[in-house]
Amino acid sequence: MSVLKLENIGYSYDKKTKVLSDVSYEFEKGKIYAIVGKSGAGKTTLLSLISGLTSPHDGKIYFEDKDIAKIDKYNYRSKFVGVIFQSFNLLPHLNAVENVILSMDVAKMKIKNKREYALDILKKVDLDGEKAKRRILKLSGGEQQRVAIARALSYNPDIILADEPTGNLDGVTSEEVISIFRRLANEEDKCIIIVTHSPEVAKAADAVYELTAI
Amino acid sequence: MYIIKNALKSIARSKGRNILIGIIIVVIAISSCIALSIKNAADASAAQGLQQLNVTATISVDRQKLMQAAQGQSQADIRTQMQKYEGLSLTDMQKYAGSKYVKSFNYTLTSSMSKSGTLTPFTTTASSPSSTPAPANSNAFAGNRTGADTFRFSAMGEQGDFSVTGASSEAAMPDFVSGTSQVTSGQIFDFTSADYSCIISSDLATFNSIKIGDKITLANPNTSTEIYWFTVVGIYTNSASTQSTNGPRFSASMDPANHIYTSYNSLKSVTTTSASVATVTTDSTTGLSNTTALREQVSGKYVLPDAASLDSFKADASSMGLDPNYTVTSPDVTTYQHSLIPLKNLSDFASTLLLIVILIGGIILIVFNIFNIRERKFEVGVLTAIGMKKGKVAMQFVVELFVVTFISIIIGTSIGAVASVPTANMLLANQITAQQTQSTQQNQNFGRPQQGGNQGGFPGGFNAIAGNNANVSYVDQINAVMDLSILLQLIGLGILLTLLSSAAGVIFALRYEPLKILANRA
Ligand SMILES: Nc1ncnc2c1ncn2[C@@H]1O[C@H](COP(=O)(O)OP(=O)(O)OP(=O)(O)O)[C@@H](O)[C@H]1O
Ligand SMILES: [Mg+2]
Repeated sequence: MSVLKLENIGYSYDKKTKVLSDVSYEFEKGKIYAIVGKSGAGKTTLLSLISGLTSPHDGKIYFEDKDIAKIDKYNYRSKFVGVIFQSFNLLPHLNAVENVILSMDVAKMKIKNKREYALDILKKVDLDGEKAKRRILKLSGGEQQRVAIARALSYNPDIILADEPTGNLDGVTSEEVISIFRRLANEEDKCIIIVTHSPEVAKAADAVYELTAI
Repeated sequence: MYIIKNALKSIARSKGRNILIGIIIVVIAISSCIALSIKNAADASAAQGLQQLNVTATISVDRQKLMQAAQGQSQADIRTQMQKYEGLSLTDMQKYAGSKYVKSFNYTLTSSMSKSGTLTPFTTTASSPSSTPAPANSNAFAGNRTGADTFRFSAMGEQGDFSVTGASSEAAMPDFVSGTSQVTSGQIFDFTSADYSCIISSDLATFNSIKIGDKITLANPNTSTEIYWFTVVGIYTNSASTQSTNGPRFSASMDPANHIYTSYNSLKSVTTTSASVATVTTDSTTGLSNTTALREQVSGKYVLPDAASLDSFKADASSMGLDPNYTVTSPDVTTYQHSLIPLKNLSDFASTLLLIVILIGGIILIVFNIFNIRERKFEVGVLTAIGMKKGKVAMQFVVELFVVTFISIIIGTSIGAVASVPTANMLLANQITAQQTQSTQQNQNFGRPQQGGNQGGFPGGFNAIAGNNANVSYVDQINAVMDLSILLQLIGLGILLTLLSSAAGVIFALRYEPLKILANRA
């Protein structure tokens, strides 16, 4: 059964130029999907639609058979989808662990020691010790990217949307991140959707969708 | 919950900005505190004073109105017009006393009588004022009398040496009620009887070696042969007369020492007798008739339950048929309102100050918050992108500002509570000085009706003493310290300011979609 279903999606930022047209994809739990395409093809736009940050002009998006146009998008975003933004969108005045805790708070997670839990997740993406307590702006691009990944995983969402998650990472770290995704898909039955330019990442996916610019 | 936690963290992160906001609000709180204290004190003392005030009202001819209506008319016409509106008769006054807004009614009859026999009016000047009765019809009272000037000429009699008051009850003798005058030996006469018993001032008694039980004789100033006997049953002292300057007086009867009190019935009996034996003559040139009868002036005083009843009584009296050319006035209320002028001025000043401070403070806070929100635009975008509801984002901003406001209000109020009373009293002292200066300069009561001079044939006398505006004692102290109502008003003000100044943030947070904010950043 598909956890996510796109039906003839069409979208344009302004009325004249269409960015997406007639896109129909299905995503299942326990699988990794790669979305590939040229720069400007509309990959980030597609993730914005899936995460409910904006609504399609044509077609419908179903989350577990419910039209997401009809559900509380804030609740959907805070609990069921984790987004790793291309530009991270971390709060610069908070440190790494505070950024992670914030998302857990917004998702209303009920666990005893949120801080320890958050530090644990950061450790899984190789951010530990002093770096976890450093302000975002004092972390490198790759470190920021890993904080963004940790944040998306922290509240245990069903779907993880990752926009170029390995774009700023070296080969070894990239492989580590991919193996984390693989474990989440296989062991925790998550649906992972990765936008990528990297052939290695695409190769690791269970299915690849290619977006072509209109 | 996490909203409050985040709000507190956010405050701690941007200390500089919040301290600045805090200082602005502390200043607003201090000035609001002072302004509200003054306002409350002004309102409280106005209400309290009026409550304690024994409100009395009188009905008199609205001479100003008559004169306005008479403008351009000939002097003879004005004279007839004025004569139509003499003071109300006692019967008429008693009719209006029936109004349900009148608690009680008392009245006095006043007359002017001359020395007779051994009795000499008290005077500090060497030459005893002449009370040699002038030829019967000369009417020689005022020095500046040149025919036309004194249009009430025919009604005026000869001015005597003594001012005699016949009171209907204790309440009709306000000097004794207030304690300005006190019977120090003997006792007060019986108000109901007409037994010609009277009380005289201690000055007059000493001056003439009069003891209780002695009889004194008083003559009709118009005809010296018309003599009346009174028995002295009491001697009183008047603290106002001991304080008054010993300067020259225009007539002996103006000296409070020459003021004789008797019962209304006694004096009425005297004037009735006088009228029955009087000779009436008619001036051949003016056509005005003139009598040798003792002049009398009746004045009634209505005691009202409170100041608010004054207007009701006015309306009631006119519906009971009071001619519009008569006016109901209350010197008590007028005097009291006068005493509140400095406090009222200060209260107005305080209100203006409060308004300006709130306005300027509010604008600064709003501008501050608009800049602040612009800075935090990205934060709004990220928070909503990770699923925080817009309402909650807005709430966090409001909480942040509210905490800062609240702490500042507490600090400001504490300072204000300590500073407000001395500051207010200092400002009040300045106001009183200003008001006194202004009062002297303008002599603003000069042309008012209902003062001594227009009461008919008795210039000076009773009313001039009672209505002397130089003696207004202004409310010069406020003691309203911070009370709960001021605190609540301040907190209300704080909430208002918080909401106002965070409105910019709230509107922003509610208006934009996260995608737009995040896209704009890149
Ligand atoms: N906020 C926006 N307003 C108007 N046009 C936009 C906006 N965001 C993106 N676009 C346009 O929409 C198209 C698709 O953009 P999108 O960001 O989805 O591309 P992408 O496939 O993610 O590219 P890349 O691989 O470079 O990240 C582009 O032509 C872009 O210029
Ligand atoms: Mg993109």
